[in-house]
Amino acid sequence: MWKNLYALFKKDCRMMASGKFFFVALGSLLLYTVFIHFGYLKFMDSSAGIYNVYLYDPAGTLDGISPFVRLAASREELDEALARDTSGGVGISMTDGRPDVILYRGAEKADRHRVDYALSLLHLDGEYTPEVVGSNTPEMKQRREITCELLFIEIVAVGFLGIASVLFKEKQMGVIRVHVIMPLEKNLFIFSKVMLFLLTDLAFAALMTIFNVGPAEAGIILPAVLIQTAILSLIMALTGFGCTMLLKDFRQFSLAYLAIALFVATPVFLSANTSIKMTWIGWHPFYHVYMGLKNAFFGMPVTSPVYYICAVCAIILLFGIVGAAFSREMGREG
Amino acid sequence: MIEVKGLTFSYGKDKQALHGLDFTVEDGEIFGFLGPNGSGKSTTQKILTGILRGYGGRVSLFGEDRNNIHTQDFFQKIGVLFEFPYLYANLSAIDNLHYFSSFYPKEQLREAEELLEELEFKKDFLRRPVSSYSKGMRQRVSMARALISNPKLLFLDEPTSGLDPAGAVLFRRIIEKERQKGTTVFVTTHNMFDADLLCDRVAFLSNGNIVALDTPGNLKEQNSSRSIVVEYVYQGWREERTIEASELKAGIPFACDELISVHSQEPTLEDIFIRYAGRGLS
Repeated sequence: MWKNLYALFKKDCRMMASGKFFFVALGSLLLYTVFIHFGYLKFMDSSAGIYNVYLYDPAGTLDGISPFVRLAASREELDEALARDTSGGVGISMTDGRPDVILYRGAEKADRHRVDYALSLLHLDGEYTPEVVGSNTPEMKQRREITCELLFIEIVAVGFLGIASVLFKEKQMGVIRVHVIMPLEKNLFIFSKVMLFLLTDLAFAALMTIFNVGPAEAGIILPAVLIQTAILSLIMALTGFGCTMLLKDFRQFSLAYLAIALFVATPVFLSANTSIKMTWIGWHPFYHVYMGLKNAFFGMPVTSPVYYICAVCAIILLFGIVGAAFSREMGREG
Repeated sequence: MIEVKGLTFSYGKDKQALHGLDFTVEDGEIFGFLGPNGSGKSTTQKILTGILRGYGGRVSLFGEDRNNIHTQDFFQKIGVLFEFPYLYANLSAIDNLHYFSSFYPKEQLREAEELLEELEFKKDFLRRPVSSYSKGMRQRVSMARALISNPKLLFLDEPTSGLDPAGAVLFRRIIEKERQKGTTVFVTTHNMFDADLLCDRVAFLSNGNIVALDTPGNLKEQNSSRSIVVEYVYQGWREERTIEASELKAGIPFACDELISVHSQEPTLEDIFIRYAGRGLS
């Protein structure tokens, strides 16, 4: 079995190399790294506050407030600034001599952080102690966040399309049919490809994390990140394999990919990264995988056994479906 | 080697492909399975090679029921040449053969380069990618792939398709050589010329039924009109006359000055196929 697996694996490596897959993956890695270091962090201006904080203090009772606080001349101006603010701004009115926090409601936990952050900028020592929620600097937080997002996109998009491009080539050449009459366990054909994509994705994830989060931080979060990457990579590779077997050509596959991008990835990104709330998102399996990856990047790996049991079951189920689709294709081809 | 009894197969409720086939193939025999496209040739071959399951009737190979054969042992003993040369286009002939042969035990393998030489493959192309080969060269590499494991049972689907006449002669010689080694050959084709030259016995398949099965010689004899066409010159005129073969016993039964040609009106396999199946092969 190992001899056959080695032969398949070696051939798959050559197929991927000839299809410039490794070159594309390396190019993506460099592009993402350059973007994070020289584009995203500067664009996001990591020295700025997390939320805009507006203060109306008619009596001028506060001294030594943070430079991040923006002063409003009147209560109306404060209200207008909050209405215009699209990044979760927080207002503080000192009309009664005490800080009265004003904000547009969002998610409950995030609102608490916004309030803590706004009050902490007032330096009200002794009166208020903000809750410590983590040791991330704003820059590190942004690094983790964008690295996680780009890694997710890479695996969902490039890895998924990569396995399809290799398989469609084999389908076109008709060589899948030849494997039917070879003395080898047919599942090894699937296993070899999925393993190759898994290893590539793991290497990509490790390098991406080391380059963009930093070696020291990466050393701490990498095991959890790699576990989540493995789950996502296996699911995507098997889904890509299955779609390739079921669909006629790469054009049909591209349409299927568009559907996946639109209806699967988009709601997950919108729900996890913006203030758009979708009550049903908890039923979306990719939301949990994405959040698992994100939490791993922030050093809070998923501990729920239910999550891992569901992931393993999904992978086994997909492997079974792919196996059946592969058998059907072998009999049909030619 | 192969024993098939009452073989049926359906692709769906209204798509009955095979209607109860019965035939046997002896050890070391070259057996031709002939029929037009859609007659059920490929379906039968797919069942025999284990690609299709869910058939009715009984199929046994190597003396064992197809369903009880351990698949990997079975695949080690067979070689298959597909109608189209399925190869990795980005790999060379040698790399393709090394890759496919890596699934077989080393002791049963033939030397790839020797085999290609036997198939008169151009040496300059050995290490060039298959994408740069002509159809004939690809067919040679495919044949080498089918033979590299020294199979005991060889399935050939349109073996001479894509070959020039010299290539076709070479392939027929190689198939004959395999038979002399004791290999059983199951040829699927609609090329009656190949079948006539190669096969010990042929089965005509039409709409999922075997309509005739015998040696090419017997089929021709049974379907011969036994008439003979004689071309001759008499009193300066060139003439042609058709007579019964029995009339020749006592010599030419008519006056002539010079005989030009004598042709027996033996039907071709294609004529016989049309007679049995009611339609041609193409």
